[in-house]
Amino acid sequence: MGILRLSHAEVRVPDLELALAYYTEVVGLIETARVDHRAYLKAWDEHQHHSLILASAPTYGLDSLGFKVETSDDLDELSARLSAAGVEPERHAAGRLGPGSGDTVRFVAPSGHTIDLVHGMDQVGNGLPLHNPPPAPDDLVGMHPPRIDHIFLMCEDVDGVTAFFRDVLGFRLTEQILADDGHQLVTFLERSHTPHDLAFITGPDGAFHHVAFWVDEWNDLRNGADLCAYHGVPIDAGPTRHGATRGCGLYFFDPAGNRNELYTGGYWFDPDDEPTTWTEAEMGRAIFTYRGQVDPEFMTVHS
Amino acid sequence: MGILRLAHVDITATDLELAAAYYTQVLGMDLTERTEDRLFLKCWDERDHHSLAIRHATRVGLDRFAFRVEREADLAEFERRVEAYGYAVQRVPAGSEIGQGESIRFELPSGHEMELVHDVVKVGGRLPLVNPRLNPESLIGIAPPRIDHLLVHAEEVPEVARFMTDVLDFRLTEQLLDGQGHQVIAFLERAHKPHDIAFVQGPNGALHHFSFWLDDWDHVRRAADILAFNGVTIDIGPTRHGITRGNTIYFFDPMGTRNEVFTGGYRPDPDFPTITWTDDNAGRAIFYYEGVVNQRFATVHT
Repeated sequence: MGILRLSHAEVRVPDLELALAYYTEVVGLIETARVDHRAYLKAWDEHQHHSLILASAPTYGLDSLGFKVETSDDLDELSARLSAAGVEPERHAAGRLGPGSGDTVRFVAPSGHTIDLVHGMDQVGNGLPLHNPPPAPDDLVGMHPPRIDHIFLMCEDVDGVTAFFRDVLGFRLTEQILADDGHQLVTFLERSHTPHDLAFITGPDGAFHHVAFWVDEWNDLRNGADLCAYHGVPIDAGPTRHGATRGCGLYFFDPAGNRNELYTGGYWFDPDDEPTTWTEAEMGRAIFTYRGQVDPEFMTVHS
Repeated sequence: MGILRLAHVDITATDLELAAAYYTQVLGMDLTERTEDRLFLKCWDERDHHSLAIRHATRVGLDRFAFRVEREADLAEFERRVEAYGYAVQRVPAGSEIGQGESIRFELPSGHEMELVHDVVKVGGRLPLVNPRLNPESLIGIAPPRIDHLLVHAEEVPEVARFMTDVLDFRLTEQLLDGQGHQVIAFLERAHKPHDIAFVQGPNGALHHFSFWLDDWDHVRRAADILAFNGVTIDIGPTRHGITRGNTIYFFDPMGTRNEVFTGGYRPDPDFPTITWTDDNAGRAIFYYEGVVNQRFATVHT
């Protein structure tokens, strides 16, 4: 019950055609709909209508992000909790927020991000039959990650925002990087028993650091890096490994400058597991274990 | 709320010394406790007291398996539901079982004893909770980070699968039907992966295998190297399943209990549509590369 996992992100791009070419041919997502100035995409193994929306806009950045809830009652329950916390949610019936959209509770988090809680998004299937399916479709191109994994956002008050997501929405803290004075610089939050569905790093409210897609193997990160190099996609960092989450990642930028990640690894997290803490002195290893330091670009460039 | 994941598998072995040597040196588990007639082992990344318990006995087999529930109150809820279904439930008070608090036990329609537990003794993973390194030092053997699932036999698979879904809220991810449309294998999950437990047609109460998670295919190959070096009998693999899409090796512990290492799969939401395999595709369903199931895999169990 409650929030299951990250459902989707809506990202702004100035050139929709260019972004679509990148997301379908290099990343290898599948376009499921296009309406006015928006394109809807999904990763191949997802059954839901979309996990990424590209919105044509004069600038880049994040318009909204969505989490999938398990039951329709969860929307009422979470809506009541948001109201009690002084955040006034809007309710949108299925289909109202665009093609495929489910019944949605939309609110603005204290971090300034617009967040949708969604139940009942249209299901379009994963391209495989439900009888005797092969392990994967035979027409995949590019990196073709099977699904979206997590999203990394920025906010000014990481402590306050983290408390909001834990207390109001039931997220659980898996890891944190603490400044020497004890305040939270970075927090990792989960609902799906993975190291993170959502993370916050100190920065401007409303800013978008990256959205990550899952891949099954370290080898997939190497193939991803090959594709970035071949297509001239700027690689930000990696293939490398994180101390926090223990995952392996490759960061790169879409043509508009939004940061993407391919991610694999991590661990299972029980709801009552104790979080892991990183100290400020170890922040380099927490983010990029192999280099032991974080590029200024990684910390400051966002969209 | 409800069942979270597989907690531990309790098996019997005819030689505890041999079992301890194999599970610590070849599998690379940590021995967390030992009594006169029992071994308790965990994988390096597990925080609970044990994920495998081995009891000395004159016969190799399965005592029970246990799943962890999210809240203590879930035990009373499942006790009520199992009893309402007409099955007896035994309350095992705290203090009577090593490594855990209160639990409930009941017999499944397949004849297996199943246990549900919330309160487990937390011994912690091998990594510290402040500035941990990526892997513990001095891992030996295959060293999987955690247990993943188990597969057991049932004479009437549909009957036990129905119990698991209706009473315990498991979800059916995949099934294999025989030529008459009868369900002969059922894959069931709670942890948002292809399976936490599966039932395959066979003698009630029997264990087919239990399985450990590995993070990727390279680790599966490395596991095969370690098995070969140690002279462990490999049943089949490295290969791939059609069902679950996972990558695998099956092998036997020195007493004949089948183990597996597993990676891959997918993440089913609770509303995931069930995938069905038909009799004419049974070979690929089990072993996608071979397309046939070897006789030993189909018949040997403990």
